[in-house]
Amino acid sequence: MAERRAGEVRATLVAFLEPHLRTEITPDLDLFASGGMSSLFALELVVHLERSFGVAVEGPDLQLANFRTVDAMTALVLRLGEAAGG
Amino acid sequence: MDEGAVTALVDDLVGDRAGGWDLAGRLPADVIGRLGAAGALCPDVAAEFGGLGWPSLATGELTAFVGSRCSSLRSLMTSQGIAAWTIRRFGSRAQRAEHLPALTSGLLAAVAFSEPGAGSDLAAMTTTIACDGDEVVVSGHKVWVTGAEYAGELLVFGRHGEGAAAALVPAGAAGVRIERVPDPLGCRAAGHAGVRLDRVRLPRGRMLAAAGVPLDWLVTSALTHGRLSVAWGCVGILRACLAAATRHATVREQFGRPLAEHQLVGRHLAELLVAEQAATHVCAHASRCWDEGRPEQVPAAVLAKHLAASGAARGAAAAVQVLGSAGAGDGHPVARAYRDAKLMEIIEGSSEISQLLLARRAVAVWA
Repeated sequence: MAERRAGEVRATLVAFLEPHLRTEITPDLDLFASGGMSSLFALELVVHLERSFGVAVEGPDLQLANFRTVDAMTALVLRLGEAAGG
Repeated sequence: MDEGAVTALVDDLVGDRAGGWDLAGRLPADVIGRLGAAGALCPDVAAEFGGLGWPSLATGELTAFVGSRCSSLRSLMTSQGIAAWTIRRFGSRAQRAEHLPALTSGLLAAVAFSEPGAGSDLAAMTTTIACDGDEVVVSGHKVWVTGAEYAGELLVFGRHGEGAAAALVPAGAAGVRIERVPDPLGCRAAGHAGVRLDRVRLPRGRMLAAAGVPLDWLVTSALTHGRLSVAWGCVGILRACLAAATRHATVREQFGRPLAEHQLVGRHLAELLVAEQAATHVCAHASRCWDEGRPEQVPAAVLAKHLAASGAARGAAAAVQVLGSAGAGDGHPVARAYRDAKLMEIIEGSSEISQLLLARRAVAVWA
């Protein structure tokens, strides 16, 4: 169940990221190492993640480590979803 | 309070006194206090924190109304809104519960970004927010902090380790010095000041929980809220100019007919209307993106701010032109608009910085 959810989250994130960053996104790619991530787009990514998965990323969760890769964001979404009882 | 009641309160408190405040370079404390106590300076704060819980669209319309009367007062709304939003987004649950109800019940917050060596290039900021046991130590020099002269708290942005942090500094804390900007070009009553922070020691809980976050995340989030607010404020400037210019042009006669019937004057009125409508629509779009939680809110706020600020600067210049000597006395609504609108092309991302961000957006979407 959790694995299926993780797969959905990864797929949604990749579908959002690829057209913006114009590169093939693998789950462990460091998104912030390539230089393609503008400050505006980083915030768009946070908002996208919140809207798509019904979570709120606030306070201590707003750390680069949670957004560096698709895998990291997936783990964050699953953790926040559990905390919200979802 | 609903939107009508808050608008009536603003109408009652401001009336036609903004010109006098501009000339005096000061807003009356009771005006700031009463609007603050009503939660009207940051009406988008949720009801659970004592706020009015308004969507961005309603907040924007109020911002435009305040901006149509007094850009100095509207500037305080912009700062209060940024402070509340930043606490909401980057604070812990406990910090939100502690500080947001204060901001909706009368405490005024100012927001400190710029430094002598860090204006458009905020990455060059040198203010530090460092942990020392149970305390944080804030050191640096901030400039052009809107509302700092009136504020009870300063939300100070600075470096923290490899990233950034924001700290809520009481204006009266030991080591804080507020130095009023003597004669600003515009928003003269907005209480702009430099802030010197000399090893200001605070309990660690005064540093927002997201400490260590990349500086540009912190700044972009805060500025997105601020840009939307400034953009709506510029809609207000345009509405004030449209009202003053059309009234004057229908009453004042030269060469035997009202100014509005002179075609070259008519063109000014037409362009003012276009600017006001265009700014209103891009602001409403950005606010809807915000209310619906759409990622597009981020570039939409930049676009709205750039279009509304440049439209307000052009529109205010045209309004002064239409009123001629009737609008050329300092403190007159169009004279204020002319000076205030120019500053709107500079703050919250200059027109040039906005263009750089929009150029990158254009390439990302259209190339």
